[in-house]
Amino acid sequence: MKRYWRCHVCNDIHYGIKPPEICPTCNFKNAYVEISSAEAKKIQSGETEMDKEKFRQAIGKFAEKNEFQVNPNQEKVNMLIDGIFSCEENHWMKYCPCRLITKDFDEDLKLVCPCNFLIHETYKDKEDGECWCGLFVRRKNE
Amino acid sequence: MSKLIMFHGRECPHCQVMMPLVDRLEKEEGIKIDRKEVWHNEKNADLMRSYRDIIEPKCGGQLRTPSFMNTETNDILCGELEYDKLKEWATR
Ligand code: SF4
Repeated sequence: MKRYWRCHVCNDIHYGIKPPEICPTCNFKNAYVEISSAEAKKIQSGETEMDKEKFRQAIGKFAEKNEFQVNPNQEKVNMLIDGIFSCEENHWMKYCPCRLITKDFDEDLKLVCPCNFLIHETYKDKEDGECWCGLFVRRKNE
Repeated sequence: MSKLIMFHGRECPHCQVMMPLVDRLEKEEGIKIDRKEVWHNEKNADLMRSYRDIIEPKCGGQLRTPSFMNTETNDILCGELEYDKLKEWATR
């Protein structure tokens, strides 16, 4: 089961089965201690803005070093980002606009965008692979 | 309510591709397909979820949009489809 961990040096929070050996922020070794979800929430309560433009930049950066890229079709991307943000407005999380949530929170975490689309049959082993919605497409070899 | 339902999402690109085909099918075959938007209408979303056991096995284990369902036969199709395939589902 996943739990929360806090770096005792720089207060980075990690959520996972085990903490990283080296803190990615301060590079300290064996720095993580387990904490409760309430503590994690308090530490993370500082507001950070994520508007559509910032999200667009974030997914672009996320794709940068990967075998996929954000779909060059701007119109499609704009529509999908609108959908992702309206899901967040109505259902608290940036859920996929092309799949409906089940209302089982753990199950629905699989639908938070970007999801693990590398396993989608629309992407895996496909030269023209794309995530189910087409927000991400496999990068073409230049 | 028609026995044929299309569950769709307003911001789902596959659904946008399929809409004109559904229009054409209704016009050419004189049938009615109930379009139910699920991301902005909770009643429709609950209806789609109520068919979860029937839709998911045919749609990659998820409630994908668009999903086309015949509520009498439980015939399901999902995603972007050729017109003929959609027609075959609707007129079977
Ligand atoms: S299928 Fe694409 S748009 Fe949908 S959640 Fe996954 S990455 Fe995002």
